[in-house]
Amino acid sequence: MSTGEFQVVGIRPARQQPEELKKKWYQGKPVVSIVILALIAAGCIGSRFVMTKDPAYMDLLHYNLAPNAEFLFGTDTMGRDIFSMIWYGGKISLLIGLLSAAISTVIAVLFGAVSGIAPQWLDTLLMRVTEILLSIPNLLLVILLQAILGKANVLTISLVIGVTGWTSIAKVVRTEVRQIRNSEYVIASRCMGGGFFHILWKHLTPNFVSSIMFMVVMNVRSAIVSESTLSFMGIGLPLEVISWGSMLSLSEKALLGGAWWMILIPGVFLVVTLLCMTNIGNFLRKSVNQKQSNL
Amino acid sequence: MSELLEVKHLSVSFDTLQGEVEAVRDVSFSLRAGEILAVVGESGCGKSVMCKSLMKLLPGNAKIKAGSICVNGVDITSYKEKEMQKLRGKLFSMVFQDPMTSLNPTMTIGAQIAEAVLIHQPKMPPVEVKRRVLELMELVGIEQAEERANLYPWNFSGGMRQRSVLAIALASDPDILIADEPTTSLDVTIQAQILDLLREIQKKLGTATILVSHDLGVVARCADRVAVMYAGKIIETGKTEEVYYDPKHPYTWGLLRSLPALSRGKNRLYTLPGMPPSLIHPPKGDAFACRNAYALAIDYEEEPPMFRVTDSHYAATWLLDERAADVREQISEAMRSSDTEAALPCLLQKAQTGSVETGQFAGDMTGKKTESNGNSETGPKAEILLDVQHLSHVFPLTKKHVIRAVDDVSFQIRRGEILGLVGESGSGKSTVARCIMNICQPYSGKILYRGINVCDRGQFRQNRKMLQTDRQLIFQDSGSSLNQRMKVEEIILEPLKVGHIKPMHGSYRDEALFQMKAVGLEEQCLNRYPSELSGGQRQRVAIARALITEPGLLVADEPIASLDVSIQAQIVNLFRHLQEEHGFSFLFIAHDLAMVEFLCDRVGVMYHGRLVELAPCRELYENPLHPYTKELLAAIPVPDPLRERARKATQFGKDAYMGGGKMEEVLPGHYVEISQ
Amino acid sequence: MKKNKVQYIGKKVLIFVISVFLLSLITFYISRLAPGDPLVSYYGDRVEKMSPQERERAEERLGLHEPVSVQYVKWLKQAVRGDFGISYKYKKDVLEVIGGRVGNTLVLGGIGFVLIFVLALLLGVLCAWYEDSRLDRVICKVGTVLSCIPEFWLSLLLLLIFAVELRWLPGSGAYTVGKSDDILDRIWHLILPVSIVVLNHLWYYAYMIRNKLLEEVRADYVLLARSKGADKKRILFRYCLRNIIPSYLSIMAISVPHVLGGTYIIETVFSYPGIGTLSYESARYKDYNLLMVLCILSGIVVILCNMVAQAVNEQIDPRIRATEIMQETEETKR
Repeated sequence: MSTGEFQVVGIRPARQQPEELKKKWYQGKPVVSIVILALIAAGCIGSRFVMTKDPAYMDLLHYNLAPNAEFLFGTDTMGRDIFSMIWYGGKISLLIGLLSAAISTVIAVLFGAVSGIAPQWLDTLLMRVTEILLSIPNLLLVILLQAILGKANVLTISLVIGVTGWTSIAKVVRTEVRQIRNSEYVIASRCMGGGFFHILWKHLTPNFVSSIMFMVVMNVRSAIVSESTLSFMGIGLPLEVISWGSMLSLSEKALLGGAWWMILIPGVFLVVTLLCMTNIGNFLRKSVNQKQSNL
Repeated sequence: MSELLEVKHLSVSFDTLQGEVEAVRDVSFSLRAGEILAVVGESGCGKSVMCKSLMKLLPGNAKIKAGSICVNGVDITSYKEKEMQKLRGKLFSMVFQDPMTSLNPTMTIGAQIAEAVLIHQPKMPPVEVKRRVLELMELVGIEQAEERANLYPWNFSGGMRQRSVLAIALASDPDILIADEPTTSLDVTIQAQILDLLREIQKKLGTATILVSHDLGVVARCADRVAVMYAGKIIETGKTEEVYYDPKHPYTWGLLRSLPALSRGKNRLYTLPGMPPSLIHPPKGDAFACRNAYALAIDYEEEPPMFRVTDSHYAATWLLDERAADVREQISEAMRSSDTEAALPCLLQKAQTGSVETGQFAGDMTGKKTESNGNSETGPKAEILLDVQHLSHVFPLTKKHVIRAVDDVSFQIRRGEILGLVGESGSGKSTVARCIMNICQPYSGKILYRGINVCDRGQFRQNRKMLQTDRQLIFQDSGSSLNQRMKVEEIILEPLKVGHIKPMHGSYRDEALFQMKAVGLEEQCLNRYPSELSGGQRQRVAIARALITEPGLLVADEPIASLDVSIQAQIVNLFRHLQEEHGFSFLFIAHDLAMVEFLCDRVGVMYHGRLVELAPCRELYENPLHPYTKELLAAIPVPDPLRERARKATQFGKDAYMGGGKMEEVLPGHYVEISQ
Repeated sequence: MKKNKVQYIGKKVLIFVISVFLLSLITFYISRLAPGDPLVSYYGDRVEKMSPQERERAEERLGLHEPVSVQYVKWLKQAVRGDFGISYKYKKDVLEVIGGRVGNTLVLGGIGFVLIFVLALLLGVLCAWYEDSRLDRVICKVGTVLSCIPEFWLSLLLLLIFAVELRWLPGSGAYTVGKSDDILDRIWHLILPVSIVVLNHLWYYAYMIRNKLLEEVRADYVLLARSKGADKKRILFRYCLRNIIPSYLSIMAISVPHVLGGTYIIETVFSYPGIGTLSYESARYKDYNLLMVLCILSGIVVILCNMVAQAVNEQIDPRIRATEIMQETEETKR
């Protein structure tokens, strides 16, 4: 060994080890759910190319048929082709889900943000109002609103569901806004002279968007549930407007006749869609806490 | 003496998404009955993991890869959870870093201690248990034990909580007590008390103790032996005197040198460059080489073995190899001849320890800090930039009770002056900063900045833009003061964008790069998020953000409190350098006096919302007048075991302090509160 | 201390009264502004044949000719006396109509609620105990799937299987006609609806317990407890579970109306004579008087439950008091 090894060489730059991630990009992400949901959504959006029949056409010769080669998923009591109705109706169900979630998110963000930024007394007042609104059972509120708006169509039903479903997001937005508002980076920004809109855009929005993503996805989900429930009960969309819910409103007749396909098939599509959304929502929420258990 | 605990070649690793973290690598040490072993190193060096692995309290993704742990000659390495439970509490127990979170919030203190007693003696009669609980509480110095046993943790202060945790740990008379940074999150004065308590208990009960700390100064006072850890390895171990007076590893040199107490009287603090390496892929060779000015070529190639210095003193550095004898000679030669700037801790001579009293200790330092007062710009003639007059602020606690957070505080800062404001948590120093920055409105009093009363809404509005760009604030915790969702570039540029100010050095990006360079950040950080940076780097980002508008006044609210000692020194030096370059006035807030000396021209001491002493820096250190200032000074840990052991923490009678005194100028420029 | 207690209760009562007042005001206005002819529900198809004079007289009889605010004041005066008007459809006192049904809903909802409460706790603890094991994962997966199924479809599915195909269980009603006093028969009829109520809500709460427990298990004090020598059972039950019980209680109190709301739908699927079918009918037949009272009653339940939840939080959990004080000082600080 040469003595050169024992000469002072001082500080040399540390050799950077390449950081390799052990996990693949897709690990831990709900890939299956995303793919299934994407397939269903694509099928619904492009329903024109998927459908084999006119979903609204009542084929009185072939009613109450079990699934067969011609009617893939069978026909309902009015002789409509269930396979075509699934895709056509799914479009409407998804549309209502998105629309009403959008409506409630807008209301919730506005309400929550105002409540979060407002002085103490206004905040208390607003929160009391939400509590009272919350205290009217959703279903009854929907029934009342539905009665006011008159005959249901896609727009009114989204509006009704949207208007009744915003309170829980609003609460999250409010707490989030309060927390962020009191955080040191916002105080620092205020010291620099950051105006209201600067803080809103640069600090508040990016921070709470991520925390309400989960709520929004769940809201789409519950809006779809509400729509199908209402339509099923006959106080939502009428029979002629095809959606997964209104398809199921025929199920009472189907039950009597033992026509399982009329109940199972639209229901399975509904449940699978909801399940995928739940998985995606849970993923959005879960990624926060990764600490290991102390026990 | 027999070995109570013997650890051989222990390796612990974590399985994480980024890869395998080798937190503890081939660690061997032993602990004898009744001794205190201190384990020292910067954060991220695996100290805490090592302690937890002794008791098998590691999280699920950690595993002991190799090595053995023997207690009283019994190998417990392969013990299962059930067997470990019997040993925990009885054979060894642990005190954790943060007493705020380590107690169960919904159980009374008494119940938690009683539980610890009952777990190992389930048949003890209730009366006996109660007696034992009170005995334990008295042992750890909790007065009025009977009443306090029925209180919940949140009724207790941090120091009291840590005492309770200690009582829990001692409940079943353990043979080994593991204290994992027990004083890091406490005030300095409390820290001294807890350390004294640890030593007292060890003497009384003969409990062998492992004391973990990132601060060599802290452990000097009570350790019998010291082990220095770096990057998951023990790199030097020996008797306390050996490690402090004759350190062999360059890392130990660095740690010792970066302690403020050793640089006392000098202009600059020595700093250890850089930070500990990531343990995912520990560097080849000596992990410390890339921060070591005395690194040998072989350090980059081959890992040094443990070299024997004496029978009890070992160090892992190639400098001790016989082939490096020449180099060793050269280095010690250089150390001896070099000026104070590069002085090494080996020069901490035993001779110095003749004087044991703290008062004299301060006197030792024949005035070397010269330039600040003589400086023409910052002298008494310089313009007064900030004038705080009779500032008071109260918080309503309930409808009737109020807390006087700040009580009649007055001081001035001249242009280019650095004023330190020191006090324990809750003394109102942060509130003063917040009032100055218009974050909260004072209850009474005036704050004049460049002659503008910033508390007056009208005047504030008229001069808003100037006030907002000319005063900047740095917070304590850079983790929460930087928006996690903004990139470093955006964060640094925010003040410019908000104030619509044109960058001075080319484009916005160039300006950001320029500022980053000025605060010592690498270029790659530009596109990172704060969570990807270390604590020290984040604080540098916060400093860059504050300085980008070329402020006239910089207010820093405990900017170094949450950092390691070695990083603290880096930041303090940076502040000093930047202040010299930019010439801003600076209000520096800290909770102890250790670092303030190297930065400030004048220092004010706050206690319970009142300013109790205000004096030029050197004057305050040499001639402290207020009893609280004396206590704070005495609490500065000195890395000198003999002196530390001889010293007793002076206790300032807190209950006796009434406040309401008057500030009087005792000596020119030296104000102190005289109570009536 | 005693004075404080009186003040505390007084404050709560005041809040309650104001809330109920506002609630009734909102529902009253909505129901009166709603389109649709309330006369139809009272007189049925006869309305179309009425002459304008007859119509006016009929409206006057029902008090519909006055402005809404006057109607409200009148209604409120009567309501305070316990007279909530008549149901247009049943032509009976509203309370009487509701009284006949409320018991059924309470039985269905009550049994369902208690079962959910207990089972969720058990399931949550089980999952937390075996965190990340195969058992935990299977339960989580099954639970997630179950919680995604809308209750009406689950009802249909179970009806299809157990009532239509297998014919094991009855598919509608609360009792077999003529056997309204037979308890066994009633239980027989309750099995399907109750299991749907439970299946539908169970996972939501069990999952919440699981997550809260897992969060607690990650707290620092668990380490200290372990270093004392406490075993897993002691830590999980005496520490973690105990610490989350207050918040669990308060969440369960808030969710009473949630569970009840769920029974509404199940009731209609099973044509179970409860509040749910009643509100459904009243909405269909535009019997606003009845619907409004139902709304207010449900609202009162919700408000009460919220207040109970709050009181639970404030009284049981010593932490809340401490954090409140801290929050207050924090807020004033800023």
